[in-house]
Amino acid sequence: MSRYRLQGKGRVDHSAPVSFTFDGKTYQGLRGDTVASALLANGVHLMGRSFKYHRPRGAVSAGSEEPNALIGTSRGAGRFEPNTRATVQELRAGLVTESQNKWPSLSFDVGAINDRAYMLFSAGFYYKTFMWPKSFWDKIYEPVIRGAAGLGKSPTEPDPDRYASRYLHTDVLIVGAGPAGIAAALAAAQSGADVTLVDENAEMGGSLLSDPAVLIDGKPAWDWVDAQLGRLRAAGVRLMTRTTAIGYYHQNMLGLCQRLTDHLDSPPKGAPRERMWRVRAGQVVLAQGALEKPLVFDGNDRPGVMLAGAAQTFLHKYGVKVGDNPAVITSHDSAYHAAFDLADNGARVAAIIDTRESPRPDLLDGARKRGIEVLPSHTVTTTRGRLRVKSVRAAPVRGTQVGTGRDIACDCLLMSGGWTPSLHLFSHTKGTLAWDGQTFLPDRKTEDCEIAGAGRGLWGYADVLADGAAAGLRALEGLGRAGHQASFTVANDRPGSGVSHTELPTDGNAGKARAFIDFQNDVTAKDIRLAVREGMRSIEHVKRYTTNGMATDQGKMSNINGLMIAADALGKEPPQVGLTTFRPPYTPTSFGAFCGYLRGETFQLTRKTPIDPWAEANGAVFEPVAQWRRAWYFPKAGEDMHAAVLRECKATRASLGIFDASTLGKIEVAGPDAVEFMNRMYTNPWTKLQPGRCRYGLLLGEDGFIRDDGVIGRLSPDLFHVTTTTGGAARVLTMMEDYLQTEWPELDVWLTSTTEQWATVALNGPNALAMLKPLVEGVDWDDFPHMSCAECTVAGLPARLFRLSFTGEVGFEVNVPARHGLALWTALIEAGKAYDICPYGTETMHVLRAEKGYIIVGQDTDGTVTPGDAGLDWAIGKAKKDFVGKRSLSRPDIVAKGRKQLVGLLTEDGSLLQEGAQIVLDPNQPKPMKMVGHVTSSYQSTMGHPIAMAVIEGGFDRMGETVFIPMPDGVRKAKITSTVFYDPQNERLKA
Amino acid sequence: MLLIHCPYCEDSLPELEFTYAGEAHIARPADPSALSDEEWRDFLFIRTNARGPHYERWRHIGCGRFFNAIRDTVSDRFLTTYKAGEPRRPLTNEAAE
Amino acid sequence: MMTSQKHDFAAAAIRIEDAAPALRLSLRVKPAHRDAVGRALGLDLPARVGQRAQAGDIQALCLGPDEWLIAAPEGAPLADAARAVYADAPHSLVDISDREITLRLSGPAVLDLLAACCPRNLAAMAVGSAARTVFDSATVILWRDGPADFRMDVWRSFAPHVRSLLAQAQAEIAAGL
Ligand SMILES: [Zn+2]
Repeated sequence: MSRYRLQGKGRVDHSAPVSFTFDGKTYQGLRGDTVASALLANGVHLMGRSFKYHRPRGAVSAGSEEPNALIGTSRGAGRFEPNTRATVQELRAGLVTESQNKWPSLSFDVGAINDRAYMLFSAGFYYKTFMWPKSFWDKIYEPVIRGAAGLGKSPTEPDPDRYASRYLHTDVLIVGAGPAGIAAALAAAQSGADVTLVDENAEMGGSLLSDPAVLIDGKPAWDWVDAQLGRLRAAGVRLMTRTTAIGYYHQNMLGLCQRLTDHLDSPPKGAPRERMWRVRAGQVVLAQGALEKPLVFDGNDRPGVMLAGAAQTFLHKYGVKVGDNPAVITSHDSAYHAAFDLADNGARVAAIIDTRESPRPDLLDGARKRGIEVLPSHTVTTTRGRLRVKSVRAAPVRGTQVGTGRDIACDCLLMSGGWTPSLHLFSHTKGTLAWDGQTFLPDRKTEDCEIAGAGRGLWGYADVLADGAAAGLRALEGLGRAGHQASFTVANDRPGSGVSHTELPTDGNAGKARAFIDFQNDVTAKDIRLAVREGMRSIEHVKRYTTNGMATDQGKMSNINGLMIAADALGKEPPQVGLTTFRPPYTPTSFGAFCGYLRGETFQLTRKTPIDPWAEANGAVFEPVAQWRRAWYFPKAGEDMHAAVLRECKATRASLGIFDASTLGKIEVAGPDAVEFMNRMYTNPWTKLQPGRCRYGLLLGEDGFIRDDGVIGRLSPDLFHVTTTTGGAARVLTMMEDYLQTEWPELDVWLTSTTEQWATVALNGPNALAMLKPLVEGVDWDDFPHMSCAECTVAGLPARLFRLSFTGEVGFEVNVPARHGLALWTALIEAGKAYDICPYGTETMHVLRAEKGYIIVGQDTDGTVTPGDAGLDWAIGKAKKDFVGKRSLSRPDIVAKGRKQLVGLLTEDGSLLQEGAQIVLDPNQPKPMKMVGHVTSSYQSTMGHPIAMAVIEGGFDRMGETVFIPMPDGVRKAKITSTVFYDPQNERLKA
Repeated sequence: MLLIHCPYCEDSLPELEFTYAGEAHIARPADPSALSDEEWRDFLFIRTNARGPHYERWRHIGCGRFFNAIRDTVSDRFLTTYKAGEPRRPLTNEAAE
Repeated sequence: MMTSQKHDFAAAAIRIEDAAPALRLSLRVKPAHRDAVGRALGLDLPARVGQRAQAGDIQALCLGPDEWLIAAPEGAPLADAARAVYADAPHSLVDISDREITLRLSGPAVLDLLAACCPRNLAAMAVGSAARTVFDSATVILWRDGPADFRMDVWRSFAPHVRSLLAQAQAEIAAGL
């Protein structure tokens, strides 16, 4: 039995001990504990060191807003996670945890030297310090500061867990299953609406779980919660615990992160760790409640100083007394209940220090009955205790005068500065907020949502329940459905009110006070005031200058306190200074949850051709091309890429090569106006192209720049088989559809993607014809010259056969229905053996085409290259009145001199140029040099020397000139040549 | 993620089914060769870049159709959508709000 | 050759099967000639996106204002029938049988399975309708044949990715969390 555990109390299972370790020491907790509640049950308040000053810190809250108690958790190999909030992490058998930001140990930490040097680390530290002598950066700032600062340590192994995602469409989504959320769900679940109720905690019930004495409709709070959850379940309401609404996006789209396995001793096989829900809701009810605010005074961050409401939660939910001898400092009624409940459970409450002049009589009564001293109109000026608070100094306040204080011994200090409605999600929607004198409340909405309960400043269960029911009903009515208004009777209610403060008044030197606002980023009240003195006027500037609210908790506890103090320093009202923007996610969320399924083999879509299995089985090395994986080259034993590619190139030029071209985009252009459409889209003339013939087609954008190209066959008067580049397939089809739908809807022509209908095998080489002929039926070879096409059979398979060449050798492309692709390939490989057929990949394809000066759109062009620049003027139908991009070819800057033009390059020393290398005319000119172009393609070739293509200003007029390519290891010299390096007369195609 | 109303499918559907297709109501001139360099430049490159209601085109994967929309670029809200080829919709009071 | 193959996973909540190859045709025709082409094919082509029509074992699905997907047993002589009316009712009828493969997805948890990667509200989709939508980064056509009975047409090269996602979601549903 742990020292601070109250037998039989709380919602934990006293019969189910769970052991875990913290910093190597084994502790016992109970099933239902969080790490924080279990440590507190063992009397451990010291849970970590702070980020900047390495000050000792303990849990200040009992929930997801926790700024201090951040721990590393480990659930086995690869399952280390830093910065887990100890107040959220549920206990599970064998959980290993550790504190952060300490060395060598949590109780003795060398980095705490920062704390004594705090004057150096004041507001604007980052901006001021790093401007100092430049040499300090490398030697001091970077190593020292990076070493001392930082939040936890990164995992070093890949995350072995799985993560899931799911879409959900629901009529009403209710965020927060406290009293308001439950009442809203009961109301919304009428009339058959589909309702989803989510809560970030392990159990639903919200604050009612920390207030068991409240009676609702005559039932104790916990019984009432159980009964209502049962009703909701019976009504088909989706109840999701451990599910945090992390973001609220347009049109009632919310992201929910559901934690599925972290609390389980042994998760089921195949279960994802977390699931990201993308929810579209008809109506949203935000019932997220309110977060308690700390008070700001010197030493408010010592372990043992915590929010009063947190102490109440640890007591009732977990059966843990956070101390034997608590003191209380408060500006809100609610802290009295925490004090009373602790006193009723055996704690000796040292004193209730109330900043207010006249506490409520019934609360004073309650204190008197329990023998608790109340000190009204008092402040706390400091606390003492190295690793745990030992005493608190209380002093009377009269007007602005702070009287003589006295030290009150205690083993914990409970504070309450009032409550801040949780409006983070509401802020995500850009809903506006209104200042009510104490805090911000929701004002103008931008989405179909309701805010209920403490989230809009209500206090006391009767009001909150009624408000939740009304909000649920409004949501239902917003769906066009009807329901009736429920009512609740509440006894033992605990309504309350309070006031907001800046720093509490002090008798000491305010400049020396270490009164923390942002615990996680170690921002003090003094920092905020300094920021204002140094000229920050907007809260957004104060925030960035001091880093207040910029830690992982996004200032859930600190924003209002920071604003109050900034406003005070500026002499303005808080709303004039403004509230910083909250952004998703509401709480820190794992990368895994965002990735979902998109990791491992489904990280990214990978398309494979029907012939891919053969390539894989035959040792292909693959490369990604657009979304496809394509065989890059087929190395034989001992070959590197260069050797394999050269062998493939030579084999193809010498006899026969075979290539999987299935990824080529294919579009069926069909209809009576097909030829008219082709004339309008492509630069080339199509009218006179006879059925059974093909032509190279060039596609421009309306701006005159090359978009795509490919060989196009006319299969019948009304039918074109268009091919596109692999990467351009979808883009070209979309572009064509756009023109057809919106510019030329009168045309009777239709487009169908057939990219995947056909598997395409290219055969190239002097023996291609001889090898293919016997396998083909239905082609008249006497009338099938270069650039012909036919529907026929190949190897007994229905086929579309094209005679064309992208290599300079006699070539064919055989298209068969995709299911036959592999059969065709293997049949051709078999038949090709007599000709030493050589399978080749994309690299060889690139080399062979480059030797012929054939461009690759997207490699030799970059979106600023015209047909003229690429030397493709011959592909323009000069007689055509119009086609897409034609008008642009006479734009002033297109016809201007000095455009970059595509030329060939041969290096003087026979070295290989790098693609992308910049080209200059004079290597001795001063830097920065004028760059006149760059290398677009560069390969080792079959001709015994490397070849390259480049775009160079005025390149066509510089034939034979020498240009220079400065590289890190020296300047290369190259001669400008034609792009056609191989068989310029096309003799080989005529064979 | 927005819900976008497709005027062809007559249904509001998730944004993931849609792709943006540039500003709307920029018709290709019937005879581009008749345009001056400046007119042609404006057709190619000059866009309103509106802050607020913006006439633009989207395409729905579901039905494959391009259509017109008015979307407020400040609030990222669709004010209305209508079929391609329909004349520019006036900004109604509700739409302008 | 593609065969009809069943993946026998432990999860009874979901069945994922490959459908046998079928004839798939993409029909494009303007509204004025819709009825004429429909008659030639023996179909009353529905005019509303997502609606289906059936005549014997030939099914038609309206994908867009001028686009229909025709599914039929292999060898059905539809192309010849359509060609006969081409002159009067110009249209495009393209064989896309091999462009896509079809998966049958069924079982009580099939909506959860699809919700893993499909952003549409499929629970609201009428039985007997169909829609072209997205499943993760793949465009797919979903046919709802029964309350817990779907077909998914997906382009051939996207199928491995889609299958892998389906298998992951299936395992996740089988794990019961
Ligand atoms: Zn649509």
